[in-house]
Amino acid sequence: MNRRNFLKGSATAIPATVALQMLGGRSFAQTFSSDIDVLNYALTLEYLEAEFYRQGNEASLLSGVEDEYLQQVGADEDAHVALIGDTVSKLGGTPVSAPAVDFGESFSSRESFLTTAHVFENTGVSAYLGAAGFISNKAILQAAAGIFGVEARHAAVVGSVLGLKGEGGVYMGNTETPLTASEVLAAVDPFVVGPAGVAGVTATL
Amino acid sequence: MENKELFEGKPVLEFDNDYARRNFIKWAGIIGVGSTLAAAGATNRFSASAQGGGDLDILNYALTLEYLEAEFYKQGVAAGVVSGREEELIIPIEAHEAAHVAAITATIEDLGGQPVAAPGVKFPGPTFKSRDAFLETASTFEELGVTAYHGQVTLIENVDILAAAASIAGVESRHAAVIASLIGGNPFPAPVEDTATMAQVLKAAQPFIK
Repeated sequence: MNRRNFLKGSATAIPATVALQMLGGRSFAQTFSSDIDVLNYALTLEYLEAEFYRQGNEASLLSGVEDEYLQQVGADEDAHVALIGDTVSKLGGTPVSAPAVDFGESFSSRESFLTTAHVFENTGVSAYLGAAGFISNKAILQAAAGIFGVEARHAAVVGSVLGLKGEGGVYMGNTETPLTASEVLAAVDPFVVGPAGVAGVTATL
Repeated sequence: MENKELFEGKPVLEFDNDYARRNFIKWAGIIGVGSTLAAAGATNRFSASAQGGGDLDILNYALTLEYLEAEFYKQGVAAGVVSGREEELIIPIEAHEAAHVAAITATIEDLGGQPVAAPGVKFPGPTFKSRDAFLETASTFEELGVTAYHGQVTLIENVDILAAAASIAGVESRHAAVIASLIGGNPFPAPVEDTATMAQVLKAAQPFIK
């Protein structure tokens, strides 16, 4: 993986080396400076997911109940994009724009669609959990937690229709595992075209 | 939360001892569920502050729900009414709920609190007699558990406890979705998880207290 810089915009840019020092390895300290920053981070991920399902569902790779499930998952992601974007605006912030994406060979087969979906959903679950501690507004925390739970539902059901083993496929342990923003951005890096990222956050590449 | 959804209106909770019963009533008193319960518990009730803070009460509330779930799956798995792929998806849930009981108990002890005892539980006769009854009751339990956790999100003060509770709640969401898919229900009932207050959850359970 290349060392692509995920910093968004020169005004908020921090050199990658400095950002990594700030992050302190797996430390969760000082990643986000405001609720708006957290929400724009979540919005970037939701944009990715929403576009992923829009393209995937258009590819008509699924049928029956699988198709119904993935259509609903896509609708949920659209709802998350709308909810988070509105919330950023209500807080007086500017919602980030959707990143340019390239999902490569993800839609070449049912299995690759679902396998990539499984990665996206589990990454989303861990992203929300890792960011929750930075949210100060209780109403926003409630909404973020509510979205987090639904991403966990998606992850489990996608794992289930893929026929993955129960533990370590459908379920990822007794508890969910958080990821730092830099880890999450590194995980989604292969699907993002050009500079994309979140204020103050760099991917660990 | 409709009471009739729960266990066909039959008793579930039975308290083995007065300590467990007092603790249940304590929460009911704190949040004002039903004048009868509150009055009955008045003499035994702790205040939230006497227990060391609201987070400990929330953890003990979660612990009771996890105890219920753990015992439910223990009996359900032992009954052998699910098999094959369904069994493969249910057995980890049993382990998760037991792990949640252990984790929450340890957290309460670390904070210097006293974990509540496991409530005695008695599930209606048909619960483990068929695959359908087991999984439908499991679905009710999981959805109730999800809304119970999400109902506490804004009330938990300590950020580490919040993270721990959230990491458990996400797993309950996985359970709820998988079980819904097994019974032909909707694994994604809403784009954002619903919430239930402690009062609503306890109210749902109140008719089943012996």
